Amino acid sequence: MPLFEGLRLAFREIAAHKLRSFFTLLGIIVSVAFLVAVVAIIQGMNAYVSENLAGAIVGRNAFQVRRIPISVGLFDDEEWRELQRRPVIQAEEVAFVQRAIPDALAVSLQSGWPTPQADVSWRNQTVGDVLVFGVTPPFQIVQDYVMAAGEGLSDVDVRERRRVAILGYDVAEKLFDDFDAAVGRRIRVGRTQVEVKGIVEAKGTVLGQSWDGFVMLPITLFEAMYGRRQTTTISVKMARADQVAGAMLRAEEAMRVARRLRPGEPNDFTVDTAEGLITFWENLTRVIFAVVPAVVAIGVIVGGIVIMNIMLMSVTERTFEIGIRKSVGAKRGDIQRQFLAESIVLATTGGILGILTGWALAQLVAVVSPMPARVTLWSITLALALGAGVGVLFGVYPARRAARLDPIIALRNE
Amino acid sequence: MSGESLIRVSGLTREYRMGAETVHALRGVDMEIRRNEYLAIMGPSGSGKSTLMNLIGCLDSPTCGEYWLNGVEVSQMQDDELARVRNREIGFVFQTFNLLPRASALHNVELPLIYAGMSGRERRQHAARALERVGLADRMAHKPNELSGGQRQRVAIARALVNDPSILLADEPTGNLDSSTSAEIMAVFEELYRQGQTVVMVTHEADIASHARRVVTLLDGVVNSDTVREAA
Repeated sequence: MPLFEGLRLAFREIAAHKLRSFFTLLGIIVSVAFLVAVVAIIQGMNAYVSENLAGAIVGRNAFQVRRIPISVGLFDDEEWRELQRRPVIQAEEVAFVQRAIPDALAVSLQSGWPTPQADVSWRNQTVGDVLVFGVTPPFQIVQDYVMAAGEGLSDVDVRERRRVAILGYDVAEKLFDDFDAAVGRRIRVGRTQVEVKGIVEAKGTVLGQSWDGFVMLPITLFEAMYGRRQTTTISVKMARADQVAGAMLRAEEAMRVARRLRPGEPNDFTVDTAEGLITFWENLTRVIFAVVPAVVAIGVIVGGIVIMNIMLMSVTERTFEIGIRKSVGAKRGDIQRQFLAESIVLATTGGILGILTGWALAQLVAVVSPMPARVTLWSITLALALGAGVGVLFGVYPARRAARLDPIIALRNE
Repeated sequence: MSGESLIRVSGLTREYRMGAETVHALRGVDMEIRRNEYLAIMGPSGSGKSTLMNLIGCLDSPTCGEYWLNGVEVSQMQDDELARVRNREIGFVFQTFNLLPRASALHNVELPLIYAGMSGRERRQHAARALERVGLADRMAHKPNELSGGQRQRVAIARALVNDPSILLADEPTGNLDSSTSAEIMAVFEELYRQGQTVVMVTHEADIASHARRVVTLLDGVVNSDTVREAA
């Protein structure tokens, strides 16, 4: 029997038992949907982390000289103790880095994460728990801040420890109706009175978290209020992404000179990009990617066994039909191909329905959460291959049973 | 009663094992059927006529003995070779019609051609012509449950004829039909015989058998009588 005829028969048989076919396929549909949805969501999160989160924390084309690497969370105790013994980044070290990388767009010093929080108030209005940063002016370049009103911090502000502040968009919006009128107003950050010097344009949200709820102070004022932070960090921004790697090496060298480290002595600082964060995230998702196929495999095998059972039932039900076909000249191979085609079409249909369901699920997650969903080709290919594979694997036995039926006995089975 | 030899069986024996017992359905049948014969096989139930029919129809293989069809020894053939012979040489008409219930009349008739490997368009033309031959040109799209018993049996006859078989085998073809429909079906066989088709029919009804030109009776698994008579 030609292939086309087998497929046509298979579709007709499945269409004749729509509900039964659907329940037969439920296991495959759920497993494949799970595979496609989970992969899509994780890929979406990956893209999100590398495109948004990393950029938001470190800045585009930027890297940091830090006391502690960004990828926290995977240190053992020994490493952690070593990290704790590292000295804090000093303001003087900025100059060393700056000299080593003359082509840098900006080299800044900032208070880093985690950062203190304070209530910010103007007259009788208060915004609670606002993040407070201390920075040098180049930090505004590193972060690509655009001023919505007023102007940014200057070197003089830092040198003279002026009591001025730059407000994040959210904070400014809650305190003032008119941004231009807000510039020059005296607000309170905690117990300290400062003058609003500028307001930064909205940066939007990342991971559902606003990045506009902050107050930025000259680092000298910040350190007078909170002391020198352990998390103080140098940021370096390059013009292009391809300059970053070379600049990182020069920064490392400059820091070793500044710290007077002898050759062979390990660095007591870390030069890091958001790559560290991305690597950390990728390690996490690798674990998930290792677990997902195992879960899917179990689901698909169970789904396959269900298909095999239904196909065996179908062979029994259609014994008479098989008898007729054999009596008019169907060979064993013809019958075997017919039933095999049916189980493959059945399982592949399950795979396709699963892909659609998984795709819909992923889109749903993308709509209700800030995370995008990226349905990837390889997960769809894998899902289809799984479907067809299960169809073959679990269809062979019922098909052979059908093919071996004796026509006389089969015809008695009306 | 001219014509070359089409079927020759000698010493045909078929035994079944039913638990510990052995049932001797056929105990050595010798018979020859020539091209363009109209033959009825008769006998009481248990005489072995259905077993003989299944063997001639290549649905079953003999325990021992020889069966030559069209000069080829069929008795030694394996499963798939037998399927080929059923497909090319034999047209089967059953008492219970044995049509695919969900398929149209046309598709039922197409079935042997599918397994013969004929292409779709050619297949439909052949099947339509076969249905026209049995007077069902206007019922091609009907499913078996939309047809009367006589119409169903005519679909079955069209299916049996579609491959131009050497021999048309009918097993109690009127067993499930009333007398007027039976007469209709027998008229179809008569017409096919006149066109040169070899017809072998199994029946236990004497008036049905009387349509045939030659009647073979079986008793206890052997040929009991073999009568040739002139046209009814």
